[in-house]
Amino acid sequence: MADDFNTESMLDMYLFENGQLLEQLQETVLEQKDAECFDEDSINEIFRTMHTIKGSSGIMMFDNITAVSHKLEDIFYYLRESHPDNVPHVELVEHVLEVEDFISNEMEKIRSGDPVDGDASNIIADLDKFLNMIKNGGAAAGDAAENVHEEPKHFYIAPVATSASRFYKIFITFFPETEMANVHAYKTVYALKEIAEDILYSPEDILTDEKSGETIIKDGFRILLQAQCTEQEVRDLIGVGYDIEKVEVYECDANQFLLGFDFGDQPVMPQIDLESSVETIEARQEEADQEKAEEKKPEKPQIVPGDFVIQSKEPGKQKKLAKDKPKGEKAAFISVNISKMDQLMDLIGELVISESVVLQSSDLKVPGLNLDNFNKAAAQLASISTDLQNVIMSMRMVPLTNTFQKMNRIVFDVSRKLGKDIEFVMVGETTEVDKNIIEHISDPLMHLVRNSVDHGIESNEERKAKGKMEKGKVTLSARTEAGKVWICVEDNGTGLDREKILAKARRQGILDPQKPDAAYTDKEVYQFITLPGFSTNEQVTEYSGRGVGMDVVVQNIQAIGGALEIESTPGFGSTMSLKIPLTLAIIDGIVMEVGTSSFVMETGVIKQFIRVKEDMMVHEPNGDEFVMIRGECYPVIRLGRWYGLENYQESVEEGVMLVLEVEERKVCLLVDRLVGQQEIVVKPIPSYIKKVKGLSGCTQLGDGSIALILDAPGLVE
Amino acid sequence: MDETSRLLGIQDGEQNGLDSHDTQKGKYMTFKSGVEYFGLEIQYVQQIIQYQEVTRVPETEDYIKGLINLRGRIIPVVDVRLRFKQGACEYNDKTCILVINVKSATVGLVVEQIAEVVEIKEENILPPPTIGRGDKSHHKYVYGIGKVGNTVRLLLDPEKLLYDEDPADMEQAKNSEE
Repeated sequence: MADDFNTESMLDMYLFENGQLLEQLQETVLEQKDAECFDEDSINEIFRTMHTIKGSSGIMMFDNITAVSHKLEDIFYYLRESHPDNVPHVELVEHVLEVEDFISNEMEKIRSGDPVDGDASNIIADLDKFLNMIKNGGAAAGDAAENVHEEPKHFYIAPVATSASRFYKIFITFFPETEMANVHAYKTVYALKEIAEDILYSPEDILTDEKSGETIIKDGFRILLQAQCTEQEVRDLIGVGYDIEKVEVYECDANQFLLGFDFGDQPVMPQIDLESSVETIEARQEEADQEKAEEKKPEKPQIVPGDFVIQSKEPGKQKKLAKDKPKGEKAAFISVNISKMDQLMDLIGELVISESVVLQSSDLKVPGLNLDNFNKAAAQLASISTDLQNVIMSMRMVPLTNTFQKMNRIVFDVSRKLGKDIEFVMVGETTEVDKNIIEHISDPLMHLVRNSVDHGIESNEERKAKGKMEKGKVTLSARTEAGKVWICVEDNGTGLDREKILAKARRQGILDPQKPDAAYTDKEVYQFITLPGFSTNEQVTEYSGRGVGMDVVVQNIQAIGGALEIESTPGFGSTMSLKIPLTLAIIDGIVMEVGTSSFVMETGVIKQFIRVKEDMMVHEPNGDEFVMIRGECYPVIRLGRWYGLENYQESVEEGVMLVLEVEERKVCLLVDRLVGQQEIVVKPIPSYIKKVKGLSGCTQLGDGSIALILDAPGLVE
Repeated sequence: MDETSRLLGIQDGEQNGLDSHDTQKGKYMTFKSGVEYFGLEIQYVQQIIQYQEVTRVPETEDYIKGLINLRGRIIPVVDVRLRFKQGACEYNDKTCILVINVKSATVGLVVEQIAEVVEIKEENILPPPTIGRGDKSHHKYVYGIGKVGNTVRLLLDPEKLLYDEDPADMEQAKNSEE
């Protein structure tokens, strides 16, 4: 290919498209992992996916990807055409996932600019073995080697035949003195491809075999063409040039067409060159989609050329067509760079501010102005900008589906490796969460799911011994509640062992030696497992048990303002619940002032506002202050004093107390005055400024000034 | 003041021309802080804005004045005088904020007065003198001295200006104050 191609953008496109294909592939595969076998649709889909990846990887010259996807395509081609019985489904699923992993891995290398050097030979050998096995009707794998070096067959996806299609046999004779007749023949084929629904020709190897030129001159060049055009149009396309002596075009019917070249040649497999451009491959995909649609019609009277190869289809197998799941309307998506979204959000923020600057301009305060029309227009403007803000917010919300799918994969992998029979259930995966948050919860969630499968669920034998009849089950659920998203990982395994955790905690010296074991609540005990280096698992497995998991989970969750709750019933399983904010980008907050500074506190943590009297205060000699409110005593933080601000209210009677509740601890915060409640756009404090305890971000208020966002957990500490 | 407003205009335009990198070479934005003139390579300068009200962030070093809202972006602002330990000064209408980009961070520098953009050839840049200066705190930020006619500009290393934190040096500074 010419060097002046912009390979950079081609590469981007390649990575993007194949990434999506793989994601979709994994979803399809996992959806049916528990079925007996893949249904027709998925087989077709996997086949096509591999075909596309093979094609594009070939163009980009990633040979190992091409080779692997080609092998898998082989397998699915065989499945599609021969419908073998007793295919070990789980094994097949594993093979597909293995290939998917391999390709993803290679693509990751491409993305980071590393050489694409993954060794595909093992996978290919495995796939060959598998293909041989299913070919031999599930018998033990024969000699794998026999398949390895087979030249790639060129499969094609049968195009549609409609009643409008006509079939032609074309016989072209070239002048004997024509040089390189094969190239001229190819030119003809190329011209016909534009109209062809199906085209076969003989000799086939006109491009690769130079000798075919001689054959063409001697025997003529034969084309079978299926197209929706008249004989004259076909003739026009072929044209008569200096090289072509005679063109004969015969129209025939489908049956004759299927007989192939009745010129006494050996039967020829249909062939469409796969070296053709991506566009044709894509075009063929579309055709295939049409075909799929067609297939759903009860009976097709016509024989399509595709039946060359689908003859072996057993009628009984036809029943297993696609599950009758509602194929929801496909939403149209475009992917947008997230930085552009952020930019848009900033701009909207600015717009809102300049709007308020205009609407509250002091020029409008001149007495005697008639502002009726202005006010109407202003109200209109305000409603539009509010809508605009809502839309940009909703654009950042993404369903958890993809993240959950990943967990499905993990459960599958780990449970297979450990030999546990586990059912994975997803509930509420369409719950929408801010994009930034999704990025942060993926890893913690993975840990929790792994833990559940690895430690939570007992081995099959243990379960039997305990008399647990049902399969091991891991449920991943998501729901929105009170402005937070709850994501729960629930298993029906052994549950946490309180005694074991306590014993370990005592060994590690975490427990207060004075305090009896019974004095710890279950909740406190379970929280121990989130401490660094704490793992009750005696054996370190491949997946967990090193005691680095849970504390990292908790840290990551806390970093986005979330919390982890652990519940467990010994013998019946445990539930890990992540409570995370819906969005990091916008919170509902109370704006308040201390001295000349503005602060914002998230509304959710504020239990009440109260004005206190001086006599309710309790002063400790060491400077600590408490306040008695309705018989309860709360520690007091004076925000002004805490941060050493200027001009803040010294007297508690002038200020307002906010009662905050964080993780069941309550404190009172004294501020000068409240300004109001509003939705605020959270922005990080620039990293140049070192982290300040108790501050989690900043925001701009309606008048363009900046307020600091208080972080309640930080203050309570 | 006129110079300032002229520069305010220029800078906004210059920011858009990415390819002007070469033409920026050897050019320095100079400003006055205390009695001396400082220079900053112009490629770091994003724009110059009039001084605006700054929101203080508690528990930060005193030279960090706080945060400003720069067209939707919230950026920190550093007072150059305080950074040089020259003592605070009154802000007036000559006070400007020089917005610079260093290592993907955008920071505003409060400077007393913007001077001009000058071209300093490499042969006119001398290493900073190692002795004979009472005010030590300048040294770590100044990487060279540029001659412009009969005057000199102290050329600043913006990375050091923003990030250099030398506790021993600070200790020393404190001791010398006492």
